Amino acid sequence: MSNPELNLQIKRLMVENLMLQITAEEIADDIPMFGPGGLGLDSVDALQLVVALDKNYGLKISDAEAAKGILQNVNTIAAAIEQKAQAAG
Amino acid sequence: MNPRVILITGANGCIGQAIARSFLQESAENQIWLGIHSRLEQAEKLAKESPDHCRVISLDVTKPDSWKAAVAEILALHKRLDVLVNNAGHHEDALLAIMPLDSWQRILALNLDGVFHGCQAVLPAMIGQRHGRIINIASLSALLAPAGQTNYAAAKAGVLALTQSLAKEVARIGITVNAVCPGYVDSATPAMEEAQRKRALERIPMRRFGQPCEVAAAVRFLACGEAGYITGSTLKIDGGIF
Repeated sequence: MSNPELNLQIKRLMVENLMLQITAEEIADDIPMFGPGGLGLDSVDALQLVVALDKNYGLKISDAEAAKGILQNVNTIAAAIEQKAQAAG
Repeated sequence: MNPRVILITGANGCIGQAIARSFLQESAENQIWLGIHSRLEQAEKLAKESPDHCRVISLDVTKPDSWKAAVAEILALHKRLDVLVNNAGHHEDALLAIMPLDSWQRILALNLDGVFHGCQAVLPAMIGQRHGRIINIASLSALLAPAGQTNYAAAKAGVLALTQSLAKEVARIGITVNAVCPGYVDSATPAMEEAQRKRALERIPMRRFGQPCEVAAAVRFLACGEAGYITGSTLKIDGGIF
């Protein structure tokens, strides 16, 4: 189940931490983070995002395989955060 | 200048001590952590002189878990870490043909792996802050590659390459990574015999050894705000050798 408020928080976090030249509202929930047709993020952006997600949500992404799954788009990040919250709760 | 949190490895040696004192002079509010694995006496003496601003912390730079614990302790207290000075180092000179394998491995582990582990340990905090300064203490041996130092020269040359590569990786996050290459420094080479010292002096255009405080001044400069556009650089402190 999508949580629009959480998705917007993630988008704001991305804009702020990655210094994106677009607004949070312009980022679609399912736009790919990497690759053509996506946001065009690179590995350094991914690194910053991993640190920001840990800092803000306690979401620990410990290996490249997990990162590949979680950092696909805003929806997948939100799902990982919610899954972590449910596991903790 | 805003007070900063600074971690210096190998802080029992004369260069590490000079770097720590330099940062203490920069601001009485700086918080200095002296990373030490063994030979604590000089570091403990310094910590006792400035108990509110200088602390000794157990750190074996060759062990990732030791780094993790040390950085966690610093962050638990200060919530930030502004400067890492990778200063721990040691050399065991021998001709390669007769160099024991464990000597090669030990020197690579301490001088090169230690820098890797240190950078990896502090980067999450620095990335989160979007600010940080990493200064790696290499050596003129990295550039001159003298005979008898294949292990040490290779390790320190590796530090220079690591410095440049990492500098590119984190440049846009506000983190700078630089290296300094001290040449002959007084009391950093206590085992040098008089004849060796004389030969060394003949190679130095300034005809004198450097002082630990001169290395420390370069480190402090690279760590300061005004050096914010300098990254991936190697600063030689060697009295003009070359």
